[in-house]
Amino acid sequence: MQDVWSVQKNQAGIAALKKPIASLAYENRFLIKEISTKSAGVAIPVNKYVLGAAFQSYGVNAYNETRGGLTLARAFSPKLLTAISVNYHQLQITNYGNAQAFSVEVGVQYQALKNLWLAAHIANPNSSKFGTNTDQIIPAHIQFGGSYTFSDKLIISTEFEKILDSQADFKTGLEYKVIKAFALRGGVSMNPFKQYAGFGLELQDLMFDFGISSHPILGYSPQISLGYEF
Amino acid sequence: MNFKIGLPLFFIFICGIKIGYSQTQADKKPLKNYGQNGDAIIEYIIESVAENLGEDFDYTEMVDRLNYYRKSPLNLNKATKAQLSELVFLNQVQINDLLNHIAKNGKLINVLELQSINSLDLETIKNLLYFADINRPTGFEDFSLKNMLSRGTSDLLVRYQRGIEPQKGYNIPADSKNSRYLGTPDRIFTRFRFNYNNNVQLSINVEKDAGEQYWATTGKKGPDFYSGSLYLKDIRAFKKIVIGDYALQFGQGLTMWSGLAFGKGADIFTVAKQDLGLRSYTSVNEFSFFRGFATQINAGKFEFTPFISKQNIDASAVFNPVTQEDEISSLQQSGLHRTESEIKGKGRISQLVYGGNLQFKNKRFSIGATAYQSNYSQSFAPGTDVYSKYDFTKNQLTNVGLNYNYSIKNTYFYGEAAHSLGYGFAFVNGLISSLSPIVSFVAFHRDYQKDYQSYYNQAISENTTAKNERGFYSGLQIKPNKKFEFITYIDAFRFPWLKYLVDAPSGGYDIFSQFAFIPNKQARFTLRYRIRNKEQNSPLSTSTRFLESVRRQNFRLEAQYQVNKSFTLRNRIEVMAFKEESDKQRYGFMAYQDVNYSPLSSKFSGNVRLTMFQTENFDTRIYAYESDVLYGFSIPAYQNQGIRFYVNGRYTLRRGVDFWIRYALTQYSNLTTIGSGLDEINGNQKSEIKLQARIQF
Repeated sequence: MQDVWSVQKNQAGIAALKKPIASLAYENRFLIKEISTKSAGVAIPVNKYVLGAAFQSYGVNAYNETRGGLTLARAFSPKLLTAISVNYHQLQITNYGNAQAFSVEVGVQYQALKNLWLAAHIANPNSSKFGTNTDQIIPAHIQFGGSYTFSDKLIISTEFEKILDSQADFKTGLEYKVIKAFALRGGVSMNPFKQYAGFGLELQDLMFDFGISSHPILGYSPQISLGYEF
Repeated sequence: MNFKIGLPLFFIFICGIKIGYSQTQADKKPLKNYGQNGDAIIEYIIESVAENLGEDFDYTEMVDRLNYYRKSPLNLNKATKAQLSELVFLNQVQINDLLNHIAKNGKLINVLELQSINSLDLETIKNLLYFADINRPTGFEDFSLKNMLSRGTSDLLVRYQRGIEPQKGYNIPADSKNSRYLGTPDRIFTRFRFNYNNNVQLSINVEKDAGEQYWATTGKKGPDFYSGSLYLKDIRAFKKIVIGDYALQFGQGLTMWSGLAFGKGADIFTVAKQDLGLRSYTSVNEFSFFRGFATQINAGKFEFTPFISKQNIDASAVFNPVTQEDEISSLQQSGLHRTESEIKGKGRISQLVYGGNLQFKNKRFSIGATAYQSNYSQSFAPGTDVYSKYDFTKNQLTNVGLNYNYSIKNTYFYGEAAHSLGYGFAFVNGLISSLSPIVSFVAFHRDYQKDYQSYYNQAISENTTAKNERGFYSGLQIKPNKKFEFITYIDAFRFPWLKYLVDAPSGGYDIFSQFAFIPNKQARFTLRYRIRNKEQNSPLSTSTRFLESVRRQNFRLEAQYQVNKSFTLRNRIEVMAFKEESDKQRYGFMAYQDVNYSPLSSKFSGNVRLTMFQTENFDTRIYAYESDVLYGFSIPAYQNQGIRFYVNGRYTLRRGVDFWIRYALTQYSNLTTIGSGLDEINGNQKSEIKLQARIQF
């Protein structure tokens, strides 16, 4: 929850970072070569604040969505982390042209009990759109989640997500550290029904993660990522 | 009788009592007297493992086993892995932890030591101490024929059972050409057991079902079903010897598993099967057992179990115009031989099965191989439908399989690979791990090919047999303290080939979660939700067949509480919601109230249940486990609309002489006839009486 990936998910997570971190990730959808998501992120602590930047690109040659975002995060206490982000979106469809838009995201994480973190994240609450020429939307969503640390080896997280004009989803997952540097992960989402599995490897300052999601009809989507702590 | 007003009042009355007592009685009971007596513990165990078995399944095999340990508790200091596995509520991680604890710290001196084993929670320890303790002599230590005769115990049990309302099948004149029940509506069951120290067991069952002749005059003469076995244990290298009827359970049940097997249920750890190898067969399910000879020979770390079985089994026939011969259209498992045509199928074909299992067992590691051949006196007829394209169609089948399990630290790995020679393969691989002292995890992957064939295959599957299926199951149990318990599992599956009423490859998922709150030793509240999604042919299909999704959801709320030393109450409310994509949602509803009376020192004990149910159709029927006489089982499906009532009574005349009586009545408010065909009853009421006597000497 509080790692470099927060810059893409719930940005409040980066507020807890003490050192600069950078990351790169690649996801291949349903093992179809052309469809992929590439993303990169960086977070840098500056005085009381942590600054973040994220970039994401999804699609095929003929259809491409890109997003760049800047985040300002702050921990008001070790128990309360907050962040606000501004994103710039661009949609590119060959022979149809381009469209641009801005959106806002807000995130908060709160340590309710010694072992329990609660979090909320809201994206694009004002439902900003790509102008009037396209029906393509920037999803507006709200997420609530909790993460419980059972031991230094085991964390279980759950999350409820509602995307505007779409179905609500419930996700849950666990991470188990077989040894300090190696963790196994597994999870499931209900709507649509998907199963997830993966592992993470921590070699000093370098983090390597691999994950795969399985959709009952569309099949597997693998994902790899690299992170480095300076 | 006007139940409609009575029922709500009854519930209110019961709830009133509950509030009055639960405050004052809290935390005064000793560990063993936890709100349920021994039968109730066994019942609770069965109900949590027996989620998916049929209505009339006979659990005697398991109850026998548990009752045996109840009477002569297992000595934990000497117990083997196999013996501990017989206590179905223990999972493999718990068994390993217990054995490791003893190996590391020496013999248990006090049962309280069990609490220091992380994976054993208090409820498990409580259940365990019901069947086990820490010093008991075991084995053939002072065996002699004289001792055997003087110390052996015999147990004779007779049960009589009869439906009271006349059914159509019994009232058709013998001279009419129509199908009719040849026997009487009585069901009579006699069982005899002789047991010496668990080392010599003789077991005989004789049974006739309702509608069958007690002494058959048509077809094969004699009692309709009889079963017997002589079981010897620990005679030098012969660990077990069975002459007569026996069951075999190896690995994960892919290659060979006969008799009782569990599927997915509220006890998530039973998905990792605990194979017990050779056992004598003591149930009255008239299928899935062997008749002949089998033995288990131990040599060091090896166990070898050869077996041979020959018997006649029930099958229906179809004439093959090409070969001009009869072939098997299906094997019949009901064991019912009531009409001319059912009797015609009785023991119609002969079956010869022989083979063996070789197992290597180390402390942490076990690997085994099974191979056997089954021969049938006729071939199986090829199916005419596309979905049955890969069914077995010969008369000889050879199966081989390899199973393993391995424990390392907090994790138990297990699995099996199976192959039917000339046909397909099947695999299952899984693990149980206690991730932290309060979180346990189980997961397994299965891949059963569409042409994998085995008639003794009871591996975990969504289909009735492990065939034509791929899936991944994962489950979690979280017990943060003794007051709360959360269990959940998720199973996702695909069926690569067509199935009956599913004309395309299909898939689905099954999600289960249960939350239990145990505020004190007298009370337990459970909330359960289960959702299952599958695909089937759409009724909108016309020229092109396509599939639609079918969703079943169950909601269950249950409360159980001990009022005082003698009375325990239990309520359940269950709602079933059934939705076919092309149709509206349909509902089923059921609520019941149990009153259980079991004083510590009284000759009488008994229980009563009143159930109200209302379901829209067959698909929204609701199953509920019912208390019954000892070794009697009943898990009826409630459907239509009405009330059901039953009362069980037990009277102990003196030590070793017991009597049971059970009366059950179902009254439907929306029917004028009940059932169909020969079972049809004219009227809206169906009732049944059971009488049972047991003498132990």
